[in-house]
Amino acid sequence: MIIVLTLVLQILHAALILAAAPLAAGALDWLEARFAGRAGPPLLLPWASLVRLSRKTPIEREAGSPGLRYAPAAAFGATAAAAAMVPSFTLDMALFPLADILVIVSLLSVARVAEVLAALDAGAALPGLAAQQASAAAVPAEAALVVVVFALALMGGSFNLDLIIEQQAGLPTAAAAWVALAALLALAAADDARRDPPLDQHLTDTGLAIAQFAAWLRRLVWIDLIGALVFPAGLAASAAPLDWALGFAGWAARLVAGILALAGLRALLGSLPARRARELAGAAGLLALVAALLVLTGTRMA
Amino acid sequence: MSDLILLLLTADMAALLLLGALAAVVPPAAGPVLTAGLGGLGALLCVPLVLPGAAGATLDVSAGPPGLHLHLALGPLPAFFLLLALFSGTAIALFQKAAAPRRDLVRATSLCLAGAILSLLAADGVTLLLGATLVCAMLVRDRQSARARATLLVPLLLLAAVCLLTPTGFPPRFDAIRAAPVGDVPAGAAAALTVAGVSLMLCPRVPGRDWVRQALVAGAVLPVGLYLLIRLVADLSAPAVQTGWGVVLLAAGGWITLRGAWRAASEADITAAVAALVRRQAGLMVIGVGLALTARATDLPQAQSLALEATMLLALGTSLAGTAAVLAVEAMASSTGTVHPARLGGLAQTMPRTAAVLAACLLGVAALPPGVGFAALWLLFQALLAGPRTGGLIDQVPPALAATVIALSAAIATAAAVRLVGVAVLGRPRTPQGAGAREILGIGQIILATMAALSLVAGIIPAVTLRYLADAAVREVSGSTQGVRSDMMMLAASPASPGYAALPVLALLVLATGCAILVVRWLRREAKPAGLWFDGMTPPAGFPFGEPMAQSAGTGFLPSLPALPALPRLRLPPRPRLAAVTPVAALWLLLAAFGALLLILAIMGGGA
Repeated sequence: MIIVLTLVLQILHAALILAAAPLAAGALDWLEARFAGRAGPPLLLPWASLVRLSRKTPIEREAGSPGLRYAPAAAFGATAAAAAMVPSFTLDMALFPLADILVIVSLLSVARVAEVLAALDAGAALPGLAAQQASAAAVPAEAALVVVVFALALMGGSFNLDLIIEQQAGLPTAAAAWVALAALLALAAADDARRDPPLDQHLTDTGLAIAQFAAWLRRLVWIDLIGALVFPAGLAASAAPLDWALGFAGWAARLVAGILALAGLRALLGSLPARRARELAGAAGLLALVAALLVLTGTRMA
Repeated sequence: MSDLILLLLTADMAALLLLGALAAVVPPAAGPVLTAGLGGLGALLCVPLVLPGAAGATLDVSAGPPGLHLHLALGPLPAFFLLLALFSGTAIALFQKAAAPRRDLVRATSLCLAGAILSLLAADGVTLLLGATLVCAMLVRDRQSARARATLLVPLLLLAAVCLLTPTGFPPRFDAIRAAPVGDVPAGAAAALTVAGVSLMLCPRVPGRDWVRQALVAGAVLPVGLYLLIRLVADLSAPAVQTGWGVVLLAAGGWITLRGAWRAASEADITAAVAALVRRQAGLMVIGVGLALTARATDLPQAQSLALEATMLLALGTSLAGTAAVLAVEAMASSTGTVHPARLGGLAQTMPRTAAVLAACLLGVAALPPGVGFAALWLLFQALLAGPRTGGLIDQVPPALAATVIALSAAIATAAAVRLVGVAVLGRPRTPQGAGAREILGIGQIILATMAALSLVAGIIPAVTLRYLADAAVREVSGSTQGVRSDMMMLAASPASPGYAALPVLALLVLATGCAILVVRWLRREAKPAGLWFDGMTPPAGFPFGEPMAQSAGTGFLPSLPALPALPRLRLPPRPRLAAVTPVAALWLLLAAFGALLLILAIMGGGA
C-alpha cells in the first residue's frame, strides 16, 4: 500500500513539474518584461511555442550520426530524471532512495553533454562554437556545483537529498548553509545566462521543442533544489493529505520566489556575457570551498 | 590450491620471460598469440584468489645471492592487480594480432607482463627490484630523454625504500618488516622514496604513436605502481608516518590528476589526450590511497575501506576502459593516418563500432553516470564524507581542497571526453583520409567491444564488482569490514542512508529518454532533406557540402586561465651533459648501485 502511495506521489510530482516548467518560463519572461517597463508576452507563450514547433516541417540531416538524432530527447530524459528526484511538495516519493544529490547534478551534466555532442555532430561552424563555449563554461560551473553538493552533504551527513533537506530544516543558523546558498544562487544565475550563439541553434521542429522544454525543466530543477534546501516549508515525509496541501502551498511559494529572484537578477545584471558567467561560476566555486571548510571546522553562526 | 596457483603463476612468468628473450626467433604471427595465451592463463589463475575467503600462499625460489633468495607471496591484494594487469596484457597482445604483428612489440609486451607478475608476487626487496626493473626497462626502451632515463632509477628507489623499512640485522623481506616495524624517521624516508619512485612509474612520458607502451601503461604499469604504493606506504610503513604522507599523497595525486585532465582537454593529438586521461585516473588513485592513509591514522576503518574501494574501482576502470580507449584511438589513427582531431571527424559513420567503443570507454574514465568512473568518484566523496573531522582549520584544509580538486578534475575530464568524441568522431569528415577510414579486423573489434562492455558492466553494477573482485583485497590492507554496504542494486556507505543505485538510475534515464523519443516519433511529419549547415537554404556554388574545415577544431573547450604574474626564474648553474648515458649504460649503473646496496646490507648484517 505504501509503495503504491509513494508511486502515486511520484507520478503526481512528475506531472506537476512537466506542467509547471513551461509556465514558469512564461512567467519569468513576463516578469522580466514588466521589470523593463514593457507589457510582456502571454504567460502561456511557451506552450504555444511548443505546439508551433511541433507542427513545423522537419529538416532531415544529410550528414550526422544516426545515434545522435535523438540527442535532444536524451538531454530531456536526463533533465527529467534529475527533476523527478528533486522533491516539490513531499519528501515521501518512490524515487527517494535514488535521490543522491551527486547523481542529480551529474544527470544535469549528462544532459549538457548530450546537447554539446549534438551541436558538434551538426558539422557546422556556429554550433561547434556554441559547443566549445558551453564546455568551457561548464568546467568551473560543474566543479563548483559538486563542491557545493559536498558541503551540503557534510551538513546533512549524507548525499541523499531528502535526508539533507530534513537535516537542514533543523539547522537554520549554520553559517556554512548561507555561504552554500550564496554559491548556489551564483551558479543558478550563471546557468541562466543567455548564450550567443545558443547551443540549440542547429535544431528545428520537434528537436528544438524538446531542447527548449529541457532548458525550462533545468531551470525548474534549480529553483526546486535551492528552494527545498533554503525554505523547506511544507516538505515532509507524510501520508496525510493535509500535509500534502501544505506541501503544495510551500512549493508554490518557493516557485514564485524563485521566478521573482531570477527576474530580479536578470533586471539587475542584464544579459550576462559568457565571460562574466564563467567568473561568477569561479566565485561560486570559492564560496563553495569556504562553505565546505566552515562545515568541516564546525563553525556556526552566533 | 593457493600454493599450486602461485607455482603456476611463477611458471607463467618464466614462460613470458623466455618468450620475451626469444621474441627475435618466434614467428611474428605466433608471438602475440603466445603472449595472449600466457597472459590469459595467468589471469584465469588469479580469479580464485580475488574471490571472498581466498587464502594466501608463499613460495621460496632458491635463486639469488646467499641469504637473499627470491620470496614470492600471493594474496588477494596482488591477485586483484595481477588479474587487471594480465587481462589487459592479454587484450593488448591479441590486438597486436589484429594490427600488424611485430617482434619488438611482442618482446615489450611479454617482458612487461613478466615484470608485472614478478613485481606483484614479490615478497622481498630483491624480487621487487627485478620485477620493477623489467617493467621500467620496457617503459624507457629506445628512449633518450632525461625523464625516460630517470625512470631507470625507480627500481633502485623502491629497493632503497624496502631496505629502509627493514629492521637492522634482517634481510629485506616483507614478513621481517611486518614482524619488527622500524622507527618513524626511516619509515618516513622510505615513504618519500616510494612516492618518488611510484610517481615516476605512474606518469611516464611515452611517445604519442607508441601505442603498445601507452596501452601497457594503462593496463599493466598502473596496477603495478598502485600496488607498490599501497604495499610499501599503506601496508608496511609505520602507522605514525601515515598521517603526514596521506596529505603528501593528496597533494601529489591532486597535481597529477589536474595536470592530466587539463592536458587531455588541450592536447592537439588524440593519442596523447587519451594517455593524459589515463594519467588523470592515476592521480585520482593516488588521492584515494592518501585518503585511506589519513583515515587509517585517525582510526576510521570505514573511511579507509571506502577510499581503498574507490581506488580499486578506479584501477579496474582504467585497466579496462583506459586500455581499450588507447587501442580504439590507435585503430582510428592507423586507419586515417592522422592523430590530429582537426583533421578527423565523421568516424561515427566510417568506423561506427570503434567510435562506439571509444565513447563507452571515455564514459568509463570520465565522471558521468552510469560509467565506472562516476561510481569511483562517488566512493571518493563518500570517503571524504566519512573522513576525520578533528582538528582546526589547518587540519581540514586538505580534505576540502581534495574535494575541490576531484570536482575540478571531473569537470575538466568531462570536457576532454566531449572534445575527443565530438571533434574526432562526430560531425563530418574533414579530410579525404577521414572519409575513407575503415573498421579494423574482426578480432580487434571483438577485443575492444569486450573491454568496453566489461567497463560498462562494472559501472552499472559497481557494488557486485567490488564485492566479488575487490572485497578480499581491501580486507587484506585495512583488516576491517567492508566499507560499502552493497546489494545488487545499491552502493551505500552506511546502512542509515541510501546510496548510489546505478542500475535504477540508468533505467530511469532510459525510461525518460524513451518517452521523449516516442513523443518525437509520434509528432514526426514528412521531412525535407537538407544540409543543416545551411539551415535548409540552397548551398552556394563551389561548396555543395559546406566547408568541413569550418567545424570546431578542438580548441576552446577549456576556460581561459587568468593571467598570473610570472615568477622570477632562477638561473641555475649548467647541468653536466648526460647525452652520452645510454639506456645500456644506465642499466650498468643500476647493477652497480644494486651491488653497492648489497654490500651495505652485508655490512649492516643483512642476509642472516
